[in-house]
Amino acid sequence: MTTQTETPLDAMPNEDLQRLVEFAQLVTAGRDAMSDEIVTRLAGAMSEGLTLLDRLTRNEGLMHLLKVLDRQDTQHLLIALSEAIHAASQEIPAAPPATGGLGCMLRVARDPGTQEGLRLLSVFGKHLSHSMREQHRRGG
Amino acid sequence: MRILVVGGGTGGTIVANNLARRLSAEIRARKVRLTMLSASDKHMYQPGLLYVAFGQMTPDQLYRDQASLLEGSIDFHVDPVEQFHLDQNKVITKSGKTYEYDILVMATGSRIVPEEIPGMAEGAETFYTEASAVKMFKRLREIQEGTVAVVVGVPHKCPIAPVELVFGLHDYFKARGIRDKIKIKYHYPIGRIHTIKEVAIWAEPEFKRMGIEYETLFNVSEVDVENKVVRSEEGTETPYEMLIAIPPHRGMEVIEQNNLGEGGWIPTDRFKLTMNGHDNVYVVGDTTNLPVSKTGSAAHFEAEVVSENIASIIKIGTPVRDYDGKVYCFIETGHDSATYAMFNYQNPPDLKPPSKPMHWFKMAYNQMYWTSVRGLL
Repeated sequence: MTTQTETPLDAMPNEDLQRLVEFAQLVTAGRDAMSDEIVTRLAGAMSEGLTLLDRLTRNEGLMHLLKVLDRQDTQHLLIALSEAIHAASQEIPAAPPATGGLGCMLRVARDPGTQEGLRLLSVFGKHLSHSMREQHRRGG
Repeated sequence: MRILVVGGGTGGTIVANNLARRLSAEIRARKVRLTMLSASDKHMYQPGLLYVAFGQMTPDQLYRDQASLLEGSIDFHVDPVEQFHLDQNKVITKSGKTYEYDILVMATGSRIVPEEIPGMAEGAETFYTEASAVKMFKRLREIQEGTVAVVVGVPHKCPIAPVELVFGLHDYFKARGIRDKIKIKYHYPIGRIHTIKEVAIWAEPEFKRMGIEYETLFNVSEVDVENKVVRSEEGTETPYEMLIAIPPHRGMEVIEQNNLGEGGWIPTDRFKLTMNGHDNVYVVGDTTNLPVSKTGSAAHFEAEVVSENIASIIKIGTPVRDYDGKVYCFIETGHDSATYAMFNYQNPPDLKPPSKPMHWFKMAYNQMYWTSVRGLL
């Protein structure tokens, strides 16, 4: 007389078994499709990617920049910057070429837009110089 | 605190990068200065040479610029050390410069000395340098029939290399369709086919399955290039068509010239990894005289212990870890399967059956190595 031992597979519904078979086929197909070259290329990309990620996450300046960019007011500045890039890219090609000379310089200097632009640059320059002096003083 | 790393191979590079990461605040505050002196501006992935010898990699794939692998805070110079004055805590380099240190890390590596066996340098192929690996591949492509003999000098780097070579030869000739015309004969200097008992027990049936002949207790005494015969000190000989040698190794000449260790191997504390008699001198990788394999993985695990201990000495005044003798070796069992051996001072390796995923793991590691020496893995 023979006795049958029930295995966990016997207790499985047929559909589940079928899914297991399909999964095994998928793994086998993936394995057969792989080659040493594919593994080498993937691992190479992963290696370089990890190195890049490591450099980025340990870059103090970049991390500080990300923190600043996360702030609401900076996001407004970023939106304004992107709109300015868009507007400038349309305005500059359409503008007539500069004629040169003192008269032209005077006209540009009298333009309120030029004055606002200069003010923006000087405010940015003032804070940049101040921060660099501070970092140098702290031994950074 | 001045830390000086001598040697830009696997061990030295990992120590320097790990220290640069662990001590970044101290380096920025100019409390620590980290300097590396190396003989070359290039870094070679040495295990790749075996792939070059079988035409599976080209030499250019094995190199990176050393500077590109180092953290920016490391002061790197291509200027090999010629004199060590350990009693004065200073070294003098080839360019004549003097570098003083508070902590010294010696990671000078090892070299092949085939010239110590008569005829080996002229008569045997090998794969321990770029040029010799390329030459060996060209010879492998030419051979059509006859005996390919493999001989092993001692001591040598990478203990697994002889069996990997034999498995590779079997698969290479099989792929060329001439395996039945080639007799592979393996010779090993001790009374079994591998120095690690567990590897010998595992490899013997594999050799039989592949039809590889072997002779143990064969210490090469000379290579008779003219008659194509390799002879042993035990009095036996093997005629060959092609001879492949794992040449004997020594530590670097500069170690011997400065009387720092017999054979170029520096006497090293097996747990602390300090040079015997010099608590501020650490030794990693092939340079040690430790009873562990001379492999990149041993250098890696040693480097982690050394860098952690140096950093903790600077931060809290005491080392925190001992080296447990850990070694992890991939074993390529042909061109599409592999296994691995992991062991330490206490535990012997327990080899698993070879598999294709393990071979891919090794293929992947060949690329991930660069992440590893940067101190990331």
